Amino acid sequence: MSISRREFLKLTGGSATAAAMLAQLGYLPPALAQDVTNITFGGWGGVAEDEGVKSAIEVFEAENEDIDVEWLHTPSAGDYGRVLLSSIAAGTAPDTGFILSDNYETLAVGGALMDITDLVKNDPLLGQPGYFLEPQEANRCEVNGRWYGIGSTWVAHHFYYNAEMFEAEGITPPGFQDDEIWEWEEFLEICKVFTKDSAGRHPGDAGFDSEDIVQWAVDWPFWWMPLGLAAHANGGEFLTEDGLIGLDSPEAMEGLQRITDLVYAHHVAPRSAALASLGMNNVQMVDSGRLAMAVDGSWALSWMNPSLMNVAMGTGALPKMQQPASIMQAHFHSVLAGTDHPEEAWRWVRFLATPFYQEHFCKIGLWIPNQTAMLTEEGLKGWIREGIHPPNYSQFATDYLPKHGVAVAIPPGYIEAANDYINPAFEGLANGERAEDIMPDAVRGANEVLMAAKEDM
Amino acid sequence: MTAHTADPAAAEGFWLIRQYNRLTLRQRRTLMGYVFIAPFILGFVLWWLGPAAVAGYLTFHKWNFLAAPKFVGMANFSKMLGDPILAQSLKVTIVFSVISVPLGLVFAFFLANLINAKFRFIAIFRTIYFLPSIVPAVANAILWAWLFNTEFGLINFVIRAFGGPKIGWLQDPNWVMLAFVILTVWGVGGSMIIFLAGLQGIPQIFYEAAEIDGAGRWQRLLYVTLPMMSPIIFFNLVIGFINSFQVFVSALLITNGGPQRATLFLVLHIWRTAFSSQKMGYAAVLSWLLFLILMVLSFFVFRYIGSRVYYENPGD
Repeated sequence: MSISRREFLKLTGGSATAAAMLAQLGYLPPALAQDVTNITFGGWGGVAEDEGVKSAIEVFEAENEDIDVEWLHTPSAGDYGRVLLSSIAAGTAPDTGFILSDNYETLAVGGALMDITDLVKNDPLLGQPGYFLEPQEANRCEVNGRWYGIGSTWVAHHFYYNAEMFEAEGITPPGFQDDEIWEWEEFLEICKVFTKDSAGRHPGDAGFDSEDIVQWAVDWPFWWMPLGLAAHANGGEFLTEDGLIGLDSPEAMEGLQRITDLVYAHHVAPRSAALASLGMNNVQMVDSGRLAMAVDGSWALSWMNPSLMNVAMGTGALPKMQQPASIMQAHFHSVLAGTDHPEEAWRWVRFLATPFYQEHFCKIGLWIPNQTAMLTEEGLKGWIREGIHPPNYSQFATDYLPKHGVAVAIPPGYIEAANDYINPAFEGLANGERAEDIMPDAVRGANEVLMAAKEDM
Repeated sequence: MTAHTADPAAAEGFWLIRQYNRLTLRQRRTLMGYVFIAPFILGFVLWWLGPAAVAGYLTFHKWNFLAAPKFVGMANFSKMLGDPILAQSLKVTIVFSVISVPLGLVFAFFLANLINAKFRFIAIFRTIYFLPSIVPAVANAILWAWLFNTEFGLINFVIRAFGGPKIGWLQDPNWVMLAFVILTVWGVGGSMIIFLAGLQGIPQIFYEAAEIDGAGRWQRLLYVTLPMMSPIIFFNLVIGFINSFQVFVSALLITNGGPQRATLFLVLHIWRTAFSSQKMGYAAVLSWLLFLILMVLSFFVFRYIGSRVYYENPGD
């Protein structure tokens, strides 16, 4: 039987279209359809995170041809949290996703996240003893002894300083080794040197005008990480072992008061409540010489680094009050419990906990590894980059954080407790109220919320 | 088999047309009426009545998005009675409403009188005064955040130029409410246009008669303009109160309820309760509380102020 060219084209074209449609609908046997599982991955982040995830997906898909990962990107973390909740309620949650650290326990206890304990423990790589920085990793990942996610990274606060201002004053900047960390009183004295009013007078000088300061020593923001670490540095706790707010202990309140005093008693820090209204962010202030030291999270190194600053800059540990301390946290990568593809979803989440993915973000200064292999001399070569990381920066990851980093596990109900009680109290501190006047009531209210949330779970 | 019955869809279509053709003219018009209002009815049911009914159901339940709603009886209602954060948000909302609504009415009325004048380029002035009310809420919030900037904001620049202090508009709990009132009053263009329409609807003959009787400018305003405008003032008052209880975007974007809960408006509190605290049942109770407040408020406004409104054609 002979067929015309037109009939041949019709037949082949029609067959191909039908096969494609059947494959799409899942009607073809596995041998005929390309057996690829699609999984979704929700998360947030700016341009750097977005690009990083996309490039990780490319590598993962090349290594795992049977899995397609679809990246569901939301720019803001807050919006992502609400989108995730709504999608869980609607039964359309992604297979895998970022989980905000302040909502991780709530989602885990609420059954929204898949228990991956056995998968982690039995994994030939991740299950190796000492693969993660411990005990910090287990502290944050374990909820009632089970793992529901793996920490994406660690982030923590430290100083970013204008090295040229230190050189001009002949002051040795702080480092990350124990003997390079300032005592609080020493820090205050140095702050007075850097702070100047328009007539060049320092705090404590006769005629010093605290309303006309043109150069500040330090900017210490008033939100939970930099304030919580002050509580720890002074021998208190941000969160107690029972998962309650501990900011009403005498040590914690003294630590908080020390930060408020930087602004209102010592006049060496700008009013942080008005930081945004200074018209400059801390990077511009350090860059322009109006600020000697900025307290900021380690992630800020991705935009406050030697290659992007106009002045020589450096990094160092925050001063100790009773002890050195910096709070460590970060978002998690989890498999959502409602996934239809738990095996493929786990393979993707596992990939995110391997050095390749973490190195990508560590190289640009956004992250600090939670994998010990990346903290060895060899491992450091994989992510420490000249121009991004100041010369001493690796010590923050290898020395300071393992010893002085405080990993916090944020309890269920924390978001409500923070919104309703703790954040307004922090705003009060930023406005000059005394810690002992406002923290006890705020902590009482917050802990009532946390205890009620615990009872609900 | 004939050609037109070979295609069932076509036959179905023809059947519908045949049925339509059998209707009387009155029935056709009724049917078309329903077709045309269907989009609204659907929208109303899906996006208003449906959610309101679900919110009603949720008031008796605890629901955190993660597990199925759990019946808790009146627990959400009793929680409301001892909730200090709710008390604060109600206080913030009521204070804002009491200050901003009358102020907004006076300002809109004043502007409407200004742009009711007849001179060249008046259309340009009317457009300029109306423009703020059509600026998108997010852009409006960002714009005012900059205007209220303590160090570099235009408002503090003017105040300091006259020797005034540097005010922490958005950082100081004592000033931030005034900042929100100013921000709101700036957007009175909508009310202004309604006032303008009302002013232009007052017959000139009333003013002429009053003038002949010796009424001055102030008396014409008191005894002609205000009574004739009372339905418009009343309308703007009711709408103003309802809007003042629904402040959300600016509070979320500019201050996020702070400083120290000074701008924790009721709707922001409801939104946080639902989507941050994951307490949808309690948020539903608060939403119904808002509805109840607005209903009671509207009732009293209609009862005590509505009776003083002058309607030229009360039967209409």
